[in-house]
Amino acid sequence: MKILVSAKRVSDPNARLQVAKDGKWIEGDVEYVMNYFCENAIECALQIAESQDGVETVAVGIGDEDTARFIRQGALARGIDRGIYVAAEESEIDSDLIARIYEGVVHRERPDIVLIGKQAVDGDSNQVGQLLAEYLGWPQATFASKVELQGDEAIVTREVDGGLEVIAVSLPCVITADLRLNEPRYASLAGIMKAKKKPLEELEIDDLDLDDADPKVKVVALSTPSGRKAGVLVKDVDELIAKLRGEARVV
Amino acid sequence: MPALPDAFVQAITDQFPPDFASVDPQDLQTYGRDWTKVFAPAAAMVVLPRTTEEVSLLMALAYAHDVAIVPSGGRTGLAAGAVARDGEVVLSLQRMRHMEPVDVTGSTVRVQAGVITELVHDHVSEFGLTWPVDFASKGSSQVGGNLATNAGGVKVIRYGLTRQWVLGLQVVLADGRVLELGGALEKNNTGIDLRQLFIGSEGILGIITEATLKLTRKPGHLDVMLFAVPDLAGVLRLFRALRQAPLQTMAYEFFTDICLRRVLLHRKLRVPFATKSSHYVLLEAERAEQLEDWLGQLLEQGLIDDGVIAQGSVQAAELWALREGISESLSATGTPHKNDIALPIAALEAFTAELGAVFAQQYPGWEIAVFGHVGDGNLHINVMKPDEMNMADFLEQTHAADALLFSLVARHHGSVSAEHGIGLLKKRALPYSRTPDELALMRGIKQLLDPKGILNPGKVL
Repeated sequence: MKILVSAKRVSDPNARLQVAKDGKWIEGDVEYVMNYFCENAIECALQIAESQDGVETVAVGIGDEDTARFIRQGALARGIDRGIYVAAEESEIDSDLIARIYEGVVHRERPDIVLIGKQAVDGDSNQVGQLLAEYLGWPQATFASKVELQGDEAIVTREVDGGLEVIAVSLPCVITADLRLNEPRYASLAGIMKAKKKPLEELEIDDLDLDDADPKVKVVALSTPSGRKAGVLVKDVDELIAKLRGEARVV
Repeated sequence: MPALPDAFVQAITDQFPPDFASVDPQDLQTYGRDWTKVFAPAAAMVVLPRTTEEVSLLMALAYAHDVAIVPSGGRTGLAAGAVARDGEVVLSLQRMRHMEPVDVTGSTVRVQAGVITELVHDHVSEFGLTWPVDFASKGSSQVGGNLATNAGGVKVIRYGLTRQWVLGLQVVLADGRVLELGGALEKNNTGIDLRQLFIGSEGILGIITEATLKLTRKPGHLDVMLFAVPDLAGVLRLFRALRQAPLQTMAYEFFTDICLRRVLLHRKLRVPFATKSSHYVLLEAERAEQLEDWLGQLLEQGLIDDGVIAQGSVQAAELWALREGISESLSATGTPHKNDIALPIAALEAFTAELGAVFAQQYPGWEIAVFGHVGDGNLHINVMKPDEMNMADFLEQTHAADALLFSLVARHHGSVSAEHGIGLLKKRALPYSRTPDELALMRGIKQLLDPKGILNPGKVL
């Protein structure tokens, strides 16, 4: 069995970002982290590989040069067997093109399962897994909080509004990982050292023979959230209630 | 408890705005104590000046009427240095929180003493600068208190103590005179450095009202790592290796499995290692190309049993929580008796071995939670009260145990209070670290600057 997992870097959600001068991308000394949902996907693949023999795990990362480092430190160091890095300008790819790139990689690798983070915590698009399943013509199980393999089926518990849904999908399939799927492990030092020797293939988008390699979404403008208004000190409870009634209209 | 002189109270009413003073019992409770809960607060009045002129006028009045004053900042101290327990007037500087614009060229900023430490960081951050005085209580502690106690913290290994980050001070003396010490000069070799006399004096020599702080560039991206090592000797071996490493170390903290168990009892955190270890080291360093190679060498040389690197700020915070949660967890899950000592790094191993032997013999079965900063020789030794022992017995026995501990510290040329100060709590310990000659000199200086003994009476000396 072969499992393909996503390894995307995202700007650290706890860091303050600066919009570039052209207003269309971010700039400056940005701190990146592994996308949280990709960490869940990676952990899920590792647990499957540890629970049965003969499972090969492959991490795929698409983006700027630094993405290769994330594949090594965030995926291979945790135990994923090998990596594929597809070079791309992050400001010039959209969810659709990413899904097509994955499709190209799937045609090369022929995995049984593609495990993808349900969305990237910076772009928040939540599209790649669904688009990929459509392009491949494979069943999909999104927002997975539990994954079990039974024969040639994956039994997936999905987090849906107001509860849980358990579905069975036949392999090969696409599964998108949600936060409660598992608790991602740390990368151990021993793992980091081993990861240095693991194969990491580097590809260009052109290597994948895509029919359509044009992005369809353009970023028109980016802006930072408007700053919070300064608070005011009130003299007493009466003034507070008056303000809550009059200005804030919350009571 | 002596009552305040009527004439003093009248003068306060006459000469200051109506909200200057409070005798509200709730205020007296709040402002009368710090983070130590050993002494019952019994302040007579709280005053909240807005300007140096008001502080000066208040001190002139206090001097004239022999009224004792307890200077008060964020009250996060751990030595009862800001406790008012005998009818004193608490002088809180919390309304003095003005910050001047940052002097980027000179890398300095002038602030009033009541500014909260973290707000200084926020104020200078946009210029790529920081005031590298940093510890867990930075959200409550104030600049004046940081200076008066020469505060330490987890970044001392990188930046040194607070006193290294102060260029100028404004101090109000016991009789109300105002001194301007140092200004914003980096170089100023003009006689005895009076500024440094007030830094770390715990409010017994004067009231710090303003300071010109020295700033430095903000560190770059930081990597946080946790290592498992077999014993204290291993902690020190790793530290020696770090000294030679091509890394800018920001923090090197260690803790024992006993500390970790208490943290896990109290907080829902996970340990990133599969196997248990008896000692752990947290290392924070500025990101460097050579880090991975260096870590590889550590593994090859057997200097560490296991280790992890945080991937991103969430994991970094998780690793720090294991260390920063210790103090809180010890208090939440038991009754710790705290000691904060420092030793020459070279003496750490011999000292802890002797300490272990002495305690095992004298106090068998006592749980001792040790953690510390290592890089500056600072150990926090927490003796946990055995569950079956009553509080009075425990206090009596720790009293005797402290004498043993302090003698051992003295024999290894250490300090009985590394960063918490002396206050009320460590007065008995002071003679273990300072000679009679030194203490006599300190008393002489105190007598010169505060002849009536109205500044933070009963503290330190």
